[in-house]
Amino acid sequence: MERETISVTVNGRAYERAVEPRRLLSDFLREDLRLTGTHVGCEHGVCGSCTVMMDGVTARSCLTFAVMADGAEIETIEGLGSVEAMHPVQQAFWEKHGLQCGFCTPGMLMTAVELLKANPDPSVDDIRDAISGNLCRCTGYQTIVESIQYAAKLMREDGP
Amino acid sequence: MKPARFRYLRAASVNDALQALAENPDAQILAGGQSLIAMMNLRLVKPACLIDINRISNIGYIDEDGDGVAIGALARHNDVKHSPLIRERCPLLTEAYESIAHHTVRNRGTLGGNLCHADPSSETPAVMVATGATLMLQSLRGQREVGAEDFFLGTYETARRQDEMLTEIRLPGRRTDGWAFAEISNRHGDFAIAVIATTLRIEDGRCEAARVVASGVGEHAARLEPAEEALIGGPIDDARLDAAAAAAAGAVDPHSDSHADAAYRRDAIAALTRRTVRRAAARCD
Amino acid sequence: MTHTDMDPGTLANVQFRQVGKPLTRTDAPGKVTGRTPYAGDYVMPNMLHMRVLRADIASARLVRLDVSKARALTGVACVLTADDLADRTAATDIPGQTGQKRLDTDQPILVRDRVRYFGEPLALIAAETRDIADHAAELIEFELEPIPGVYDTLEALKPGAPLVYGRDNIVAERKIRKGDVEAGFARADLIVENTYRTPFQEHAFLEPEVGLAWVDENDVVNIRVSTQVIEHFRPIADALGVPHNKVRVRGALVGGGFGGKEDLTVEVYLALLAKQTGRPVRLEYSREDSFVGHGKRHPFILTYRTGVTKEGKITALDVNMIADAGAYVFLSPYVILYALVAAPGPYRVDNLNVFAKAVATNNMYTSAFRGFGALQACAAYEQQMDEIANTLSIDRLKLRRRNFLKTGEPMSTGFVPPSAIWTEQCAEKAWAGLGEPTASDGPIRTGRGLACYQQSYGRLTFLHDTSEAWVGVEMDGTVVVRSGVTDIGAGQISALGQIAVEVLGVTLDNVVIYNSDSAVTPLAGTTTATRALYMTGNAAKQAAEGLRARLAERAAQEFGVTPDEIDMAFNEVFVIDRPEKTMPLVDLVRTCAAEGIHRSELAIFRAPFGDFLDPETGQGQAHPDYAYGAHAVEVSVDVETGEVEVLKSVAAHDVGQCINPAAVEGQIQGGAQNGQGYALSEEMLYEEGRLVTPSFSEYLMPTAMDMPNVECIILESRSGVGPFGAKGIGEPAMTAVAPAIANAVADAIGVRVFEMPITPERVVTALQQRDAS
Repeated sequence: MERETISVTVNGRAYERAVEPRRLLSDFLREDLRLTGTHVGCEHGVCGSCTVMMDGVTARSCLTFAVMADGAEIETIEGLGSVEAMHPVQQAFWEKHGLQCGFCTPGMLMTAVELLKANPDPSVDDIRDAISGNLCRCTGYQTIVESIQYAAKLMREDGP
Repeated sequence: MKPARFRYLRAASVNDALQALAENPDAQILAGGQSLIAMMNLRLVKPACLIDINRISNIGYIDEDGDGVAIGALARHNDVKHSPLIRERCPLLTEAYESIAHHTVRNRGTLGGNLCHADPSSETPAVMVATGATLMLQSLRGQREVGAEDFFLGTYETARRQDEMLTEIRLPGRRTDGWAFAEISNRHGDFAIAVIATTLRIEDGRCEAARVVASGVGEHAARLEPAEEALIGGPIDDARLDAAAAAAAGAVDPHSDSHADAAYRRDAIAALTRRTVRRAAARCD
Repeated sequence: MTHTDMDPGTLANVQFRQVGKPLTRTDAPGKVTGRTPYAGDYVMPNMLHMRVLRADIASARLVRLDVSKARALTGVACVLTADDLADRTAATDIPGQTGQKRLDTDQPILVRDRVRYFGEPLALIAAETRDIADHAAELIEFELEPIPGVYDTLEALKPGAPLVYGRDNIVAERKIRKGDVEAGFARADLIVENTYRTPFQEHAFLEPEVGLAWVDENDVVNIRVSTQVIEHFRPIADALGVPHNKVRVRGALVGGGFGGKEDLTVEVYLALLAKQTGRPVRLEYSREDSFVGHGKRHPFILTYRTGVTKEGKITALDVNMIADAGAYVFLSPYVILYALVAAPGPYRVDNLNVFAKAVATNNMYTSAFRGFGALQACAAYEQQMDEIANTLSIDRLKLRRRNFLKTGEPMSTGFVPPSAIWTEQCAEKAWAGLGEPTASDGPIRTGRGLACYQQSYGRLTFLHDTSEAWVGVEMDGTVVVRSGVTDIGAGQISALGQIAVEVLGVTLDNVVIYNSDSAVTPLAGTTTATRALYMTGNAAKQAAEGLRARLAERAAQEFGVTPDEIDMAFNEVFVIDRPEKTMPLVDLVRTCAAEGIHRSELAIFRAPFGDFLDPETGQGQAHPDYAYGAHAVEVSVDVETGEVEVLKSVAAHDVGQCINPAAVEGQIQGGAQNGQGYALSEEMLYEEGRLVTPSFSEYLMPTAMDMPNVECIILESRSGVGPFGAKGIGEPAMTAVAPAIANAVADAIGVRVFEMPITPERVVTALQQRDAS
């Protein structure tokens, strides 16, 4: 079996692994690196649960081969923050009930982080547009939108 | 399901990619992968060899090209969507992007890949045909230009030969004044049920030129010439709108599928033609 | 935005410290940091990977199945076919702890000779890697000889129709015969008759079915699985032919259920192969597997014939319901029972005939889905109310007011629900909540719709439902709750914690809840039927109260007062109105421990036990109690393209008592989304039983851009049979949404689309038909 050796940095930690070219980034993260915070909901790029940050922008990890991430910086939900030191977006989803079953949450969080980087004060329409590629079956999205608004406020207050 | 096995080649330059294409007749180019990998995951396609062009530098450009725009093979959808140059010189494409996919998919997906994929319900081919774009195809044998109208041949089928790579998309400067894009999809950002991209030129209240291009209702994006003829030669009034809408509906031979049946698609083409022509005409003022 | 209305009569008596507050959920920190392990995140050393091979024709005879090449493939550990399984079947009957079981309800685990639906499993493969399992599946040779199938319930009922199984295709029939329907129709000034159709619906939980099984040192089969029902250990043991105490189901936090993880999914396959190979085995469905791997919502054809007076009073109602049960029975007999009971809705109908039938076809089998038949009934009775109002030219709310069932009145089955019936209050608030109407603009027409509902909470009383919970207090004053309840995302376990700490006077961050382990946590019953809060909430409350009583008795002794003078709050124990008499809870607990006083309590809550409804009249008690409420929407419809947009959405529900208002709102908003997709865009299309929409790009659930904000108006009658007077909200949140949307669309365009989903195509067709006539 043909394998390619790749080097990726995930949540600040460097990894070198040999992977088959057909290895999806989602499986690479979940199975090879055991970073199971990233979820796989459909594997054809529609649900958005597997969304991760790749070189600073979001990517569907199920529509990315791990070999394509060679040399890339990946960030997953595990890298955002911990229970003790949450990222404002995590804090907001927790406080504002931005989740129920939690399966879509990793993708929603990464998408929200990307949005707030580009737009620190998004309107409700901006938020709905940004997360329209992330499906949620539990919440009707309302608390997710409110969580992202609240996260924006937290981040603005924290400010640089 | 997971993708079937394939050989992976990474191109460092366009020449590299062309070399690989020439040497591997079973190879396919991997650009953003947002359609290709989804289809591979479902095992709808099993390419034996992929040539990854994502590492080629300097082919993601969006540059001035005379009074038009030249777009490199790796320009990502979001770059095109948010390009001020394209908003100025090809606003039809900018408007179409309001309906195309979702942010994360647009981060990776490329315009070039989208055109080569030639999904019959895709929006961008309609814009290319409506604006009269030119596609630059390159191989070790040389380079050739293909007009958008001649590029799309069928469902997932284009004029690109196996050893060719689409290296650049050239959008002409605005030859017409009015433009409008509209689509119906069952859900925002998803597959289109019907698409119309329209461009118009009106001089002294008389429609001098028109392109009415449909997508999602046939094997590929195509001009609806009877509708164009119905518009040209007079003012865009209700009679011309009605005639064009009826002609557009008559000019398509849509299919039925899980998203919509043929009759609905035909009705939708009439409604979208009316809508886009009205809006395009208003923009001529 | 949320308004809360309470019954002023009961308000004065109640003061809660933890309950009724939007406390943050105990499971949220793990979920937002990616630390929560879902069932699919578990792996074990030496683990095998499974694959299910499925039939690709819906109705066929299996004439040949040759697995020899697959078995010979290097890396394949085991391939099982029906030949390896004797005559084993997996129970498809109602899950849970009652042991009820009917004949002919079971599906063969693997196809022996007859394929009855598209995707029915033919063989199970376990291999060293997933790739090898996939490759082995390709090496299995099978030949299916198509035999005529039946894909439509009306066709299936015709004489000579192909038989799915048994003597005819009728899976179950139920009826209500109440009052004198003929006399009622004779008294009517007008009779309105319409037929409504509702579609299949896919649960579309984001987490596909997944599990991991292994056999432990005691020969117990352990299964870590995403399920709503850990009590499946019993049918799994029966399917394996092992004693019930040799199967242990351990849940995990579930990535969405909605009824789709109520029946068995991957458990039996996993257990068989773990047993067969002696190695840990993992099976994860792809999304395409998931689409064919669990039952769907029953499509219904509902014919309503209603007699009304000129003033709009219903004098008689005759209802005929036909539900598509698909290829196996599963919960169909109960789904039509719910539909039967719900047939007249929240209205007083004294002359009532209802006939409900579940019919077998070669479509995908259908089973539990949020709303469970009662939702399909609501889709019909609420559209019928608007049709009646239109025919009589009576205001839609006024017509409903004339007919609402009132507190203390008998419902369809003659049973008088024990709680308050606040449908009218809910309807008025929801309708008023729409505010000023949005004007129509050119081809964009706006319209409004209202729908009211009655939805049970708690299981059918003849199932004799019980639930257990254990509450204990540790030596440092922290609290432990143990209960088998599964958490499918609604905050089930967090609510238990909130109830326990309310009673014990500690704060929510001082509780840990252990749940969903069939061998270790006391069995709580299923997380289905809007019963988790009602049943397990009551059990947790009882356990906590039992423990509190014991602690209070010891504290009373300490302070020299009577136990009813003791209160507990904020981790302190004190004498009411005597601030000097106080001690930390932890000191009291240590005293109890030193003296050998029991610091925990196991409680069982029993729902009312009943008999089956009278088979001839349908009279009796079907459920413990019912929830009532209303949903109102405003939509716009593009009459050129048929596209519908929901502009406003207002829900008003009497939830009895909020345990956690944020969780209640979450249910309402999520229910609004499920209902909106059901009404407008979600469509499972089958061609000769073959699913042609097996992905999220073809099966379209609403995105964030499709959903409006939902205004939640929460009423609290404090009259429910759940803890602190709570009712349920899980299913009720969804029930009235789709008919409200259907009514709004009809209001906007002046013509009704009688079949859901109301796709652009159907809207355009309805408009064209209206213009043609």
